[in-house]
Amino acid sequence: MTFEQLAFYFFASVAILAAAMVVTVRNPVRAALFLILTFFAVACIWMMLEAEFLAIVLILVYVGAVMVLFLFVVMMLDIDFDQLREGFAETLPIGATVAVLVLLQLVIVLTSGPFELEQVAAPVPAAADYGNTHQLGLLIYTYYVYPFELAAVMLVLAMIAAIVLTLRDRTGTRSQKPHEQTQVKRKDRVRLVKMNAEKKN
Amino acid sequence: MPEFILSILSIFPDWLQVVLASLIKIIAIVAPLMLAVAYLTFAERKIIGYMQIRVGPNRVGPRGWLQPIADAFKLLLKEIVVPARSNKYLFVLAPILAIGPSLAAWAVIPFSDTLVLSDIDASLLYILAMTSMGVYGIIIAGWASNSKYAFLSAMRAAAQIVAYEIAMGFALVGVLMAAGSLNLGAIVNAQAGGLFSWYWLPLLPLFVVYFISGVAETNRAPFDVAEGESEIVAGFHVEYSGMTFAVFFLAEYANMILIAMLTALMFLGGWMSPLGFWSDVPLLGDGIHWLLLKTSAMLFFFLWFRATFPRYRYDQIMRLGWKVFIPVTLIWIVVMGVAMFLTPWGHLFH
Amino acid sequence: MIPLSHYLALGAILFSISVVGIFLNRKNVVILLMSIELMLLAVNINFIAFSHYLQDVTGQIFVFFVLTVAAAESAIGLAIIIVLFRRRHTINVSDLDSLKG
Repeated sequence: MTFEQLAFYFFASVAILAAAMVVTVRNPVRAALFLILTFFAVACIWMMLEAEFLAIVLILVYVGAVMVLFLFVVMMLDIDFDQLREGFAETLPIGATVAVLVLLQLVIVLTSGPFELEQVAAPVPAAADYGNTHQLGLLIYTYYVYPFELAAVMLVLAMIAAIVLTLRDRTGTRSQKPHEQTQVKRKDRVRLVKMNAEKKN
Repeated sequence: MPEFILSILSIFPDWLQVVLASLIKIIAIVAPLMLAVAYLTFAERKIIGYMQIRVGPNRVGPRGWLQPIADAFKLLLKEIVVPARSNKYLFVLAPILAIGPSLAAWAVIPFSDTLVLSDIDASLLYILAMTSMGVYGIIIAGWASNSKYAFLSAMRAAAQIVAYEIAMGFALVGVLMAAGSLNLGAIVNAQAGGLFSWYWLPLLPLFVVYFISGVAETNRAPFDVAEGESEIVAGFHVEYSGMTFAVFFLAEYANMILIAMLTALMFLGGWMSPLGFWSDVPLLGDGIHWLLLKTSAMLFFFLWFRATFPRYRYDQIMRLGWKVFIPVTLIWIVVMGVAMFLTPWGHLFH
Repeated sequence: MIPLSHYLALGAILFSISVVGIFLNRKNVVILLMSIELMLLAVNINFIAFSHYLQDVTGQIFVFFVLTVAAAESAIGLAIIIVLFRRRHTINVSDLDSLKG
């Protein structure tokens, strides 16, 4: 077994085991942590496929941001998770059957021959000066520039939607309003009162 | 790598040679780093001491020089207390997750033109990815401790780090626009030509935003509400003791050195000499000593901040991140883009 | 040399695991979202494997867009979960039946 194969099977088994834990563990925080492990293992596999830009982006975006969000929500919400696991055992047979059927169909297609090494040879490893990021950039900023812009617009939309959904104006809290504080004028706060001098008795 | 090491290595089989060579390189980076961390803690106590008109530690060894060694031994010998009803595995895993990324990021740092462990194409992205993973150590520590203070701190740290990471990322976008590369070595080489061709001048707003975000990202004063001794005791590491606490400490200081060195590499010309015209004179020419000098200067700022500023309030931190830094970086990126492609002043940013 | 079919098999296995996940955790919206993320990841593995073996970068660009959409989707999904929890104090899917006629 070469080093490459060893690495592939190691990362693949880590990814599969961690994914299995994601859907079966009791505690959603642990599920999120196992999902992070899955992402990590898959990123390593992408690295082996010479897609280093996407591998790093997967870690940056998913592990670094999206999963932090997941963990944040799961930890902040006070949810009774045991109640949510009702019917876990009952649905297991149906779920397993469907999954095995899906897997069987896919395996039959995949192992029927067209994807073996004889048909699709493994490409020669890229030269040392090959830049995956450079190649992607060349395509994204030329042929795919409109989809790229569209993706950016969609992200802005998602950001605005998430903010609008979760923003709430709570009344009765004593939070600071800095913009009002800085706009305060002297006459708002200080009142000069004319008074006659007190007479000494 | 020196000849004699290569000759020793040649007696091993091929695959072992690769492993051993990588291990030696890793040790050659991590060992000085750990020493630097140890003496950074010493420098911190001394410098802040002098700033507050006291002498700082001066009892262990000549003028206190052995203090960090003594501290390390003390922490090694202390018992590791795992709180009851905590999540044992995650509790132990958290410090490892904190220090892992902060060491892994060093793999792509170039120390000079030729001295780099792994010269990958997208090293800037790699650094961003690694530093973004540091937050897990804190979140998991806070959650696994099963303590309210630790948990509050974990939530604070998560929100804060995510907010400042965006500002940091945008600041780096400016750098890579100016340098035209994601490779740290290429970014430094693009700044050749002495003090005024370094990026601190054309990218001044980004430089300031990056460094202050770096302070916030490493949870250092004045942004250290995640520790906040006066409100939440010590935050996420309140339940940690002995070596587990020491590992958190190591991770924080390794991250500080990393941020300082990245600032030096991306905005202060890395190993370039500030005197571009005297490059033949030894010591005044380019070299690793310039990088170390600039890094130390940035580290001094970290300590200076801590001695000077009172801690920010939490909502002020979030406002600074989201409503000041991110707009500033966005505007400067637009300014740069317009200047580079639509006006004749584009050369100012290259 | 690893044949392409092994990468595709990995994608298939991860995909079916996430199908099981949707069945098993049909009441927990958070885990449902995670299963969807897992599914998209499985699909992305296929894209990248094909792109590598056929030496065509376009597959990776597709992954790029899938990642963008998935990130947006999970952000909005989590926002909805928060709003839901604020209003109903539950994220149990079977409790969300106030629209029934």
